[in-house]
Amino acid sequence: MCSALINEHFFSPKNVGNISDPEAVAGAGSVTCGATLRVSLSVDESQRITGAMFKSAGCSYLVAASSLLTEQVKGMTTAEAAVLGQFPKRSVVEQFDGWPADRNHCAALACEALLSAVKRYSDSVREEWTGDEALICTCFCVSERTIENEIKTAGLRTIAEVTRACNAGAGCRSCYSLIEDILETVNSEW
Amino acid sequence: MIYLDNNATTRVAPEVIAAMQPYLTEFYGNPSSAHSLGREMKSAVERAREQVTELLGAADVSEIVFTSCGSESDNWAIRGVLEHNPEKKHIITTFVEHEAVRNLCARLELQGYEVTWLEVDGKGELDLESLRAALRPDTALVSVMLANNETGVLFPIGEIGRIVRSNSNALFHVDGVQAVGKVPIDLSQLEVDLFALSGHKLHAPQGVGALYIKTGVELAPFIIGGGQESGRRGGTSAVPNIVALGAACELVGSPEGHELVRHLRDQLEDEILSHIPNASLNGTPDRTKRLPNTSNISFEYVEGENILAHLNEAGISVSTGSACHSSTRESSPTLRAMNVPYTAAQGSIRFSLGRYNSEQDIEQTLRVLPGIIEKLVKMSPYDKELRALYAAHG
Repeated sequence: MCSALINEHFFSPKNVGNISDPEAVAGAGSVTCGATLRVSLSVDESQRITGAMFKSAGCSYLVAASSLLTEQVKGMTTAEAAVLGQFPKRSVVEQFDGWPADRNHCAALACEALLSAVKRYSDSVREEWTGDEALICTCFCVSERTIENEIKTAGLRTIAEVTRACNAGAGCRSCYSLIEDILETVNSEW
Repeated sequence: MIYLDNNATTRVAPEVIAAMQPYLTEFYGNPSSAHSLGREMKSAVERAREQVTELLGAADVSEIVFTSCGSESDNWAIRGVLEHNPEKKHIITTFVEHEAVRNLCARLELQGYEVTWLEVDGKGELDLESLRAALRPDTALVSVMLANNETGVLFPIGEIGRIVRSNSNALFHVDGVQAVGKVPIDLSQLEVDLFALSGHKLHAPQGVGALYIKTGVELAPFIIGGGQESGRRGGTSAVPNIVALGAACELVGSPEGHELVRHLRDQLEDEILSHIPNASLNGTPDRTKRLPNTSNISFEYVEGENILAHLNEAGISVSTGSACHSSTRESSPTLRAMNVPYTAAQGSIRFSLGRYNSEQDIEQTLRVLPGIIEKLVKMSPYDKELRALYAAHG
């Protein structure tokens, strides 16, 4: 425990608990170091995170990482939170002074749980979608029709190209396999 | 500072420092030298040897050889026996030995030796039948510790020695590092061939240990040098350290201070186990089979490094068996060998008391610990399990 910020987030962690009636809950665990973590999120209709809480049984660094992350995501869209969860170095390690290198996996675990929660949220929105067109990317509200059109018009062949064209897959990436399916279907017709 | 980590190392006793001091300031000279300076150093070493002999109950001073540490003593004992008996390729040891024995035997396994690893039960005790059954004509050595460093469980080395003696020609090595100074030892009455001890566990500084070699036992030398220690262990005698070890042996050999340690440990353990619902003892509840200073307690469903950090913040030093905290990211091998559930092993704390602990130390620990555990229980994702546990506790 070297930095004041780490100390603060460890000895007085923020957001400890479970969101009652959460829009998403996910867990992460490490078989090697034995740490476990649960993150729960409440999300409003505009896909903004209104609440984030965590519970953990893991080392002080995991607690500090989780405290910081849950504090940061409040007010972000799920897409923004997903990006945070994909880059533990930027989101956690570099936020603290003197985060030990042998604790990078703790930051990664906290990010993994957060990202997992956002993916669960995206999955549930996709499933419950009642619009005319199938929803593929929840984070950026991109429909199947839009993606198909982009692929046909510009002759796209990869997910990365689709993302550049219409943002689908730029958030939590839970729609990657769906985009892959669409690419296959459309391109095999040619 | 409340120091409850005496099994890790101990504070150097003022009496020991006083004994050592002249040999850091006034007296110097190589104990092997022929001039009077050297001879004075030599007699200091021999005086210390007598003190160690006395504490261990060895039959003769010639049975004590000074080393640099417990790990050296263990390594020498095992390697020395193997080298001296090249036709014997079988070793018997346990899953709960200290790394100095365990990791060495694992390495020897890779080098072609056959190792039988004895298991322990849920209370940390050995099954002596499986030891008897494992003995073979080609068993070079049996190595079993006297006291486990994590749980404090004591192995019946008297009985084990008898079993080894009557069923084989193997030698019996005991890692006594954690036990010396905590429980009485009388090696002249035991069928123990080799016995390791370490100074820094009994209020001498780090950097000195000893190996007891029963008269008649032969083993190859480990450190070959200038004929020191009757040609058995090379290297200029570390006189100040050796003097320290001798003084420490004399200190802990006196009955004073031991009863208080036992009483404080019992009090701490009883209070924690009765008042904190998710607390459970690791190691046999039979206190005659455990060191009087050690209490290894699991706080299930919370994590040990967290507990340690909070106690540290409160000025209390302990150890944990949690994987998060170990450099190898492995949870305590002893607790794993005892089949302690993962969620409990992760939350294990070892309290190991010593002669400098007081009633106030224990009172203060008991004052802050419940609050720490409560805070971490609220943080635990095992909320369902904890609710059930707390409900049952009443």
